[in-house]
Amino acid sequence: MSAPAVALAARQSRIVVVRLADSAEVIGTLSLIYGALLVIYPVTFPNLIVKSWERGELLPVMMLFTFLLDTALYLRIAQRLSAKPGMMAAACLGSLPLLVVGGASFILQKAVKYTLASEWPNLHARVGEEILAHTYLALVAAVFLPFLAIRLLQQFKNTV
Amino acid sequence: MTNWNSVKWLLYLGLYLIPVFLLPWAVSRSWVHQRGGTVSYSPKQLFERGELGLLSLVLACGGIWDVLRSTFAPHTIAVASVLLAMGGIMAMTVWVETFCRQRSGTDWHPQRAWRDSRSLALFVFSMAAVVEILLDRLSRLGAQ
Repeated sequence: MSAPAVALAARQSRIVVVRLADSAEVIGTLSLIYGALLVIYPVTFPNLIVKSWERGELLPVMMLFTFLLDTALYLRIAQRLSAKPGMMAAACLGSLPLLVVGGASFILQKAVKYTLASEWPNLHARVGEEILAHTYLALVAAVFLPFLAIRLLQQFKNTV
Repeated sequence: MTNWNSVKWLLYLGLYLIPVFLLPWAVSRSWVHQRGGTVSYSPKQLFERGELGLLSLVLACGGIWDVLRSTFAPHTIAVASVLLAMGGIMAMTVWVETFCRQRSGTDWHPQRAWRDSRSLALFVFSMAAVVEILLDRLSRLGAQ
């Protein structure tokens, strides 16, 4: 086997090493899009999110979106580094986005209950703002936390 | 109808860019000029050890301060504060890692430190911007 072929084979058998900067770029872009939509469509965009939450469609859509986004990002990193995806990362990416979005939905229910029990004026609009905030925070957490977990596990594996 | 009033928060956050990018650049130019040199340093050269991560932590602290003073539910305040803090701390870690690598003689790549700190600074900056827009919407709701 020639030397370049050996080097190529060694590179391809290497497991993907994730850097937080990869997910940070995606979250930054996602945040800028979300912020721009809030500024450009201050009524239509929030109404769309609140209505889909009321119909119970927001949670599955967000789960699917974050799962696909995380998977696509991981595969892009693997392709760029010419390395193969690892089992540990696949397990993290398969479970964590769904768990994070599910957990965020649970916290949102608590926040809505708390808001409805308060004595603020404009309660319905206030609940809408809570839904908007939690939707954004869940999106960020569902992209950031799985990659943070993978990164920390990789560092832990290197030290033990 | 477009609500450009929220853009004021972007300008407010943009003020952070002056002490972070422009001031060090101006000081470096002044320093070189005083010593009669002709070389000029770009922001990339000035922040190649991941110093942008330190700024991100300061920016995250500013965002957390505003979130804590808001009238959002305590659950929302907690989630937003924790996420902002995590972003800021991870950005700062880039500088710490680069410093340790440089001091211990381990191989360090200025390109990688610059890229990592820049991406994490974008993350914290854009997240703080969206949080400020959400806070602005909530405060206008309270004023109605």
